[in-house]
Amino acid sequence: VGSVRPYLQFARLAFQRRAAYRLANWTGVAVNFFFLVVHAQVLLAFFRSRPGALGWSPYDAVLYFSASEALLMVVGVFTDLRSNLAERVRTGEIVTDLARPITIYCRELAERYGVALYFMLARFTPVYLGALVLYGVAPPLKPELLLFPVALALAVGVSAGLWYLACSSAYFRDTANGELSALVFVNTLLGGMVVPLDFYPDWLRAIADVLPFRATLYTPVALLTGKLGGGALVFGLVHQLFWFAALAAASLAIEARGLRRLAAQGG
Amino acid sequence: MMTAILEPLRLWARLALAAIHAQMQYRTSFAIQNAVMFSVVVSELTPVWILAKYFGSLDGWSFAELALLYGMVGTSWAVVETALRGFENFAAYLLQGDLDRILLRPRSVILQVASRDFDARKLSRVAQAVLVLAIACASLRLGPTSLAWVAFGVTGGMLAFAGIVMGGAAIQFWTLGQASELQNILTYGGAAAMTYPVSIYATWFRRVLTFGVPLAFVNYFPALAALGRTEAAGWPAFVPWLSPLVCALVLALGLAAFARGLRRYESTGS
Repeated sequence: VGSVRPYLQFARLAFQRRAAYRLANWTGVAVNFFFLVVHAQVLLAFFRSRPGALGWSPYDAVLYFSASEALLMVVGVFTDLRSNLAERVRTGEIVTDLARPITIYCRELAERYGVALYFMLARFTPVYLGALVLYGVAPPLKPELLLFPVALALAVGVSAGLWYLACSSAYFRDTANGELSALVFVNTLLGGMVVPLDFYPDWLRAIADVLPFRATLYTPVALLTGKLGGGALVFGLVHQLFWFAALAAASLAIEARGLRRLAAQGG
Repeated sequence: MMTAILEPLRLWARLALAAIHAQMQYRTSFAIQNAVMFSVVVSELTPVWILAKYFGSLDGWSFAELALLYGMVGTSWAVVETALRGFENFAAYLLQGDLDRILLRPRSVILQVASRDFDARKLSRVAQAVLVLAIACASLRLGPTSLAWVAFGVTGGMLAFAGIVMGGAAIQFWTLGQASELQNILTYGGAAAMTYPVSIYATWFRRVLTFGVPLAFVNYFPALAALGRTEAAGWPAFVPWLSPLVCALVLALGLAAFARGLRRYESTGS
């Protein structure tokens, strides 16, 4: 149990670091709201032209997008290009981590959970509740909602694994900016950020269902919207669990190889 | 007279080339990032394509017509984002004292700010927006008059977005960088909102886009004119003709605000 403590500290510090920039968070809320207002109206316009498509009312679509927009920062879909693992490798700051008896993957994972908790309180709550009030909608209160915390925790874990793997290129090439931007685009597209995967053409849906990206946004968002139940819900959670474990294993393997290969810069 | 125009342009090109040279140091990363930048178009247009495929059209606009809107506003914004990049990061120059160094040099402040932090990868954003625009124009079989309207709108859009980034930078003189993310709403957010016809938005939002921050004049009105639909959309036929005037006005306001902030500027003392 003693070995868990440093990671709890990393999580706590990551939470506090984010909490120090209060104004930045409120500007972020404003930006989220702007995109919410734009896309909600676009979705309403599309869905009103054919109400009840696949059992989705226009307001289901708004509810889905509101949850997606509110969870973006919680799950960590967008990349922070200024301070991340790859940047620490490039500048040589990584040496402080190497001197510690820790696994870097576990540190990144712990920090992501710390950040996620902060954004749950500071970003998700105002954006999602604001959207519910603005559009006068509410998620259906189904028993499945009890599984939302599980799906969200797994989503953050999958996201941490994807980030780590993208950043780990820096062990071999000193920079990973290209991989990180690629991750953002694939994640928004195959994660179903704007349009629920249910409306994707079959071939694209099949690809999205296999790859890990839907575990970050689609599964928790569709669950919160009340559009994931029965077999689809079981599949979603198993899919998340599988990719969380697979990405963690891959991350740990690459870390072992990468650190042997890494020549830290700076000094 | 010619040197007065050519000299600043040559200086801008030299500063930009120096930035490209610096960014080429990580060669593989540069290549991947360019490839990824190019795929932005895929991730931005795919949701529109999926919705248009499933629902047929958006308020009478087919996917090709929506792509025309996207290509027009995308081209204007990408060009401004590339050419005037420094205005987006202006808050940092104020806070870190870079502006003092800029002011010391005997060259135009606007030019120096514009070419600072030039990002070569943004050139591929310009390329992809132009590509979408070209494909949309070709598949809609636009005639010469319509193409002239498209060019008209894209040029006006560059003026308008230039005015917006300059105005956004000007605000930093007063807020000292605390609101630097808010101008993203007008630029990135504005460009995203204009991917769709203004007619689908609620009345208040439509008014903001037409009279407040008049982005409707960047692509919506010129596109209506290009498609011959101005009056069908409920606007008098002369409205698209106002585009260059409105866009030039936005640029004039942005320039004036920036000049005013600069006069007011007192160094942080670095």
